[in-house]
Amino acid sequence: MRLIAASILLLLTLTASVVMLGVPYHYAQQDRDNINAGATHQHWTGTDDLGRDRTVRLAGALLLGLIGAAAASALAGSLAVSAGMGAAFAPVWLGRIILYLSDVALTLPWLFLLMMVRSALPLNLAPIHSATLTFLLLGLLGWPAFVRANHARARTLRTAGWLVHGRAAGLHPLQLARQLLPHLAPLLLTQFLIYIPVCIVAEANLGTMGLGISEPLPSWGSMLLALQNSALSANTHWIYLPIALLVFVLLLLEMLLVEVKS
Amino acid sequence: MNAGKITLARKIFFLVLGALLALLLLPAPVVAQEIAWSLKYDPRTFDPALVDDQASEMVRFLTGGVLLRLNRVTQQVEPSLASSWTISPDGKLITFHLRDHLRFSDGSALTSADVVSTLKRVLDPATQAPVAEEFIDAKSVTVDAPDTLTVRVHLPQRVVGIGKVFDEIAIEPANHPSQGRITAGSFFVADYKRGESVLLQHNPYYWRRDVNGSQLPYLATVKLGILTNRDQDELRFVRGQYQLIESVPAENFSVLAQKAPHAVHDLGPSLNTEQMWFNQSPVAPIPAFERAWFTSRAFRNAISLAIRRSDLARIAYDGHATPANGFVSPANKIWYNQSLPPVHEDTNAALALLIKEGFHKNGATLIDRDGHPVTFSLLTNAGNHAREKMASLVQQDLAAIGITVNVVMLDFPALIERLMHTQNYEAALLGLSNVEPDPSSMMNVWLSSSPNHQWNPSEKTPATPWEAEIDRLMNAQSAAASDAERKRSVDRVQQIISEEQPFIYLVYPNALYAVSPSLSNVQFSVLQPGIVSNIDFIKAGAK
Repeated sequence: MRLIAASILLLLTLTASVVMLGVPYHYAQQDRDNINAGATHQHWTGTDDLGRDRTVRLAGALLLGLIGAAAASALAGSLAVSAGMGAAFAPVWLGRIILYLSDVALTLPWLFLLMMVRSALPLNLAPIHSATLTFLLLGLLGWPAFVRANHARARTLRTAGWLVHGRAAGLHPLQLARQLLPHLAPLLLTQFLIYIPVCIVAEANLGTMGLGISEPLPSWGSMLLALQNSALSANTHWIYLPIALLVFVLLLLEMLLVEVKS
Repeated sequence: MNAGKITLARKIFFLVLGALLALLLLPAPVVAQEIAWSLKYDPRTFDPALVDDQASEMVRFLTGGVLLRLNRVTQQVEPSLASSWTISPDGKLITFHLRDHLRFSDGSALTSADVVSTLKRVLDPATQAPVAEEFIDAKSVTVDAPDTLTVRVHLPQRVVGIGKVFDEIAIEPANHPSQGRITAGSFFVADYKRGESVLLQHNPYYWRRDVNGSQLPYLATVKLGILTNRDQDELRFVRGQYQLIESVPAENFSVLAQKAPHAVHDLGPSLNTEQMWFNQSPVAPIPAFERAWFTSRAFRNAISLAIRRSDLARIAYDGHATPANGFVSPANKIWYNQSLPPVHEDTNAALALLIKEGFHKNGATLIDRDGHPVTFSLLTNAGNHAREKMASLVQQDLAAIGITVNVVMLDFPALIERLMHTQNYEAALLGLSNVEPDPSSMMNVWLSSSPNHQWNPSEKTPATPWEAEIDRLMNAQSAAASDAERKRSVDRVQQIISEEQPFIYLVYPNALYAVSPSLSNVQFSVLQPGIVSNIDFIKAGAK
């Protein structure tokens, strides 16, 4: 099942890449005489409310969402494992402070925090920079949720015989960390896969509030924003394609996760 | 015993049956004349003197008895509680003659004492009535009543368009403000459930009658639902729970037209405008070279030329907007300057203008004379679909002349913080709702000293000669003795704005309404309230 899910995801990513490279439309190109069009030979899945090709934009949103979310998840995971291991191996008082801080960070209303940070950023940002910043923020804000799990796992490893031997043999902490990481790998992979859909959904939420990735760069958020427009949804059913694909991608990611957990 | 019970049961059965048949055969009861529509939020106040929001204004319009009423269709002031009124030649004395036998909704008599009391309360700085500002020097205004039917208002100076000010002052019982419960208008507030509804009942002592002598208003009750969700509003309208929608969003108009083709009405351009502008404030934290672009008349005119307003109207408003060429909408029949040049869209002319100004193209990018690529952010409020679309269209239009625009959508508080306080933005795209046609109502936008002079707020002295001229003309029109003189001044201001483009006007959104065909005698107007301005004559279920 995991293989099937991974294969479909890969296929989707490859198809999106081919579409981005092969279709003769730029994602920002407005065909103002063909707005809200249904499927045609020119525009396979129609156009959006500004006459932009939906297929290209969807492909762009898929790629950007997956790449950005994967990067954000990797960043959050790295921070979480660093904090968790640090708390486990540091002096008790320092470990407690790290854990308290992560707990405090967990209680923050992160969506509002994201909104505040996003609106405080310089306005004149290129769309690609806004995308980078959005996912960077998601990565920086995602780590606290995983610190406790990493800490617990690192604590069990701390008393492992091979580690005690290594420490007694005078291995440098970095060398020890390198030995520790393979033991944390299943946990890290799970965290990585859990946080990818979280980032995708968070970006989509921010986008629907107009705070995510700037136009004209395609993103799940900006595409779902069109769904709020009830008039548009009445005009063409193709407008539901982005949300259908988003749900499908999230389901595939969940299938990967189930397999890892099992 | 049993037979007796059966007989009694039979009797009861036939009695009930007979009663039911009688009910069925009786003529149908007269359905109360009631209509309902929605307010977008709770009225902030029911005190007519303190009204400062649209929901409260609607309640005041429906309940408040006023000396003079602005006819929303003809845009002329007409007598209401006052049967007549005069202004002295110097404009400093206004005399109102009240109608005979006026009564409040509780049956008590309405006399000049009530009018004097109401006016004094409105003019008292302690009340903080927003309408008091329109008297310019409210604390110097005095009011007296030589008899029970005459009221005199003494002004320290002439106030242009003073008549319409009295349209906003609802007369209340002397020294007894009632929060809309006792009124001299068409209705009074009968019930209010916060977050749910406001129920208005007709005033049985209302002064007005139709040509046949029948008591007005025809409607018995008006129910104003509190409903923030526009989709819900439309759903209830389609189901028949609401009989009108005061403002239909352009993007929903077509869908509503499909569901209820005879109910939707596009009245053409409203008084409202949508515009973009550049931040020209010297204190704005933007680079000097950007400020140099923004203060350049040629740059602003080039931007204006490059924007395809017809596309904005067609795409962003689904065809329910009109390309704009100035701050006065053509719907404002009295003040619109007919001689303004029409909307001009020409990308090549825009580029030529920029090249003449020292800009040049390097590949697809426009470069200024100092080598800076021309790029700026365009701020608008998140959640407004039409504006979001307009910003994207402008982005594409300006890309055609090599300008990179980064569209930024912020929530309204963050936007206002930047526009009004920090001045930390480059360009903005927003709209202005004009509730009244008189240009004096826009003094706070055009005077250079005003904090609402958006492109360069609160100037100590006018930054440019043309801004000084606008100051002079706006002040002149506010003190002019004749309407013709005022019109000349306002026409010139429109001309200057058209030449200098401090605001680049984009479109006039159309006035879009939905009214159930079951209502009759509805009169539409672009002034608010757009559908119920003749509420006295509206009938429900007449068709």
